[in-house]
Amino acid sequence: MNRTLLIARREYAAYAKTVGFWLSLLAFPLFAVLGGAIPILIRTSEPVREVVVIEEGPQAVGLAGAVQDALRLDQERREGRRLEAMAEAEKAGGQAGASAAGDALNRLGDLRLRIVETPADLTAAAPGEAREALARRYLGDELPEAEQLDSVVLLDRADGKPTARVWTRRATDDTVEDFVRDALKDANRRQVFQTVGIDAGVVEETEKFRPTVTALSPKSASGGEVSFRDQLPGIIGLASGFILWSLIITGASILLNSVMEEKSNKILEVLLSSASASEILTGKVLGVALLTTSVMLVWGGIGAFGLISAAPETAVQVGEVLLEGGMLGYFAAYAVGGYLMYAVLFAAIGAFCETPRDAQTLMGPIMMILVVPIIVMQMALNTPDAPVVRILSWVPFFTPFLMSARAPSEPPLIEIVGTMAGMFAFALFMVWVAGRAFRAGALSDVKLSWKSFAGAIRGGGK
Amino acid sequence: MTAALTLEGLSKRYGDFQAVRDLSFQVEKGTICGFLGPNGAGKTSTIRMILGLQSASAGKISILGADDGRKVRDRIGFLPEERGLYKKMTPVDAIAFFGALKGLPSSEGRKRAKDMLDAQGLGASKNKKMKELSKGMAQKVQLIASVVHRPEFVILDEPFSGLDPVNQQGLEAVIRDLAANGATVLFSTHVMQHAERLCDKVVLLARGRKAFEGTVSEARATTPRFLELEGAIAPDQAATLPGVKGVEVVSERDGVRVLKAGLSQGGRGQDALKAAFLGGLDVRRFELREPTLHDAFIGLTGDSPDIDQSTKSQGAEAAR
Repeated sequence: MNRTLLIARREYAAYAKTVGFWLSLLAFPLFAVLGGAIPILIRTSEPVREVVVIEEGPQAVGLAGAVQDALRLDQERREGRRLEAMAEAEKAGGQAGASAAGDALNRLGDLRLRIVETPADLTAAAPGEAREALARRYLGDELPEAEQLDSVVLLDRADGKPTARVWTRRATDDTVEDFVRDALKDANRRQVFQTVGIDAGVVEETEKFRPTVTALSPKSASGGEVSFRDQLPGIIGLASGFILWSLIITGASILLNSVMEEKSNKILEVLLSSASASEILTGKVLGVALLTTSVMLVWGGIGAFGLISAAPETAVQVGEVLLEGGMLGYFAAYAVGGYLMYAVLFAAIGAFCETPRDAQTLMGPIMMILVVPIIVMQMALNTPDAPVVRILSWVPFFTPFLMSARAPSEPPLIEIVGTMAGMFAFALFMVWVAGRAFRAGALSDVKLSWKSFAGAIRGGGK
Repeated sequence: MTAALTLEGLSKRYGDFQAVRDLSFQVEKGTICGFLGPNGAGKTSTIRMILGLQSASAGKISILGADDGRKVRDRIGFLPEERGLYKKMTPVDAIAFFGALKGLPSSEGRKRAKDMLDAQGLGASKNKKMKELSKGMAQKVQLIASVVHRPEFVILDEPFSGLDPVNQQGLEAVIRDLAANGATVLFSTHVMQHAERLCDKVVLLARGRKAFEGTVSEARATTPRFLELEGAIAPDQAATLPGVKGVEVVSERDGVRVLKAGLSQGGRGQDALKAAFLGGLDVRRFELREPTLHDAFIGLTGDSPDIDQSTKSQGAEAAR
């Protein structure tokens, strides 16, 4: 086995054998699942609040009914949205996907409160201090749990307008308060409409109305209506840009730390006596590239498995987008070029440093530059041809991310070829520059600065 | 005898700083050569040029018949001054890895690593992680890693630094074994005693220049023998003794001095002792001393090998 491959194999094994690697390998899918599951878990684990609604006198008549109606209407609206989401999910991903989406929305969608019958003593108590004292008792812990309430809503009118005093078990829980406020707002609106002669049923129907809006574009697959399939390339492009960014930065950072570790442990000089600077640099870059590729394959595999299981039709569409027009090839080329540029640069910086603090002088500005594509990529989703996106695509440091995000929107061929050629030319230049800096840095104990880094590139360790 | 290493007019400049000046010497095959000088004398720079890690500003190098150490790196073993190995690797893995970089098949490297670790008394630690080993053990592992591929030429940069006396003796034995097995050994040190015991030849370096090249005996011969006298004697009394040339006070306490009196060419210690007794001088201890390599170094360079000569500026270092 030649030296480059030996160094690459050691680099790969050094990380693949660590617990941290396996944790980070599984962390992304785990957090993706948790990211989706946690809101559901939080919602489902929330108890259903038991609420009593009391009218505080004849002036408040009808308000309790309004609150109950609002709760019913809210549940109907949520049910309607759930059915719509299921229909869309079924169109995209089959019955299984629809069922899963429906279940999730159902769990998320429930308003976690229920209006229960008011205890007789509470109804009978005189409005004011006596009733409120009793309300406190029902919200406290002195009664048996089965008799305890979560909220007592006392409804009244002031100057003809609905008001409410909402007693809750927990001072921080404003769910009932928000719901009652909205319900009374609706009740007041209905009352005002009725006063001016508008039928309550008409108001209710009007509020339930949801317009049908159809998006159309001559560039859609059908030449007319825009479907999820038409939006998919843009989503995939943006996702690819972000994934590429995080993988490249992760890989380059691993290299930086690896070289710093070798420098601080005085291993670089021994390595240099056994292999050339370019063999070491190439081996390390290759080893970490294989490592990040492994991570990408595992994440991709888990993602594909999840998508095929949950939404097979969407999975087919994603596959079509990736395979048509050589999209996968573009992503691979941008990944290689981008990784090469950043990896060799970070490795060269690492050769001058023994601690992350040493590296800060150069890493700070580089990380600031790296934020630019993150911001611009989001713009590329809706307006991939915006001048700022097009111009920044020609900057080699940004090309891999911005062109990945733009690739699905089929930018002009000249831009694809030109930016890619520029990126690879610049990557080769970076390999040359970094090779000189790496060799100089590995044998030097000078403090890292822009001046010493530039001096090392000029001298190349001679 | 054929030369394994020849340096001709070698110089190295870092910016304004001249680290090595017009250095020429040879190391014959199968011999042990000590490359001696204080810290900062230019030893590490010279070694890096020999290995091809740095280019020379001027001059020529021939090592194992090649004009660049990189062309024959698989035939060279190198132990750098600043040592370290991958902390999470086991000694066997580390040795096999560095052996493999020198072209040794991995399985053979592992086998040799185990044998050599056993021979060095590290058999029980061969599967521990490097970070669990003591400094002395780690240095032994690194030495093994540098010679596991059985190199023809071994360069050891300050191999004794950081080792306790027992491990220093062990290392001396390893160096003798390497030479006995046909390898040429060049080792740098600023501790002259090791060189006196080990070397067939020494090259003395001071401020980047060669001060001497030859055997240890030849080096000692450049410096006069001296008498060490102890008693209530004044330096000017000692200076009148026959054959004595120059007296210096080594120590003085309660009127009792220890004097170092150099003997001139052909001067005899016995004549000086006889004259001291006949003259009634209060001599309580008298010793005729042969010069050490340390004395020879001071005599040849005017510098002590124990004084750091590093004067590189930050700018000069950056240019590296």
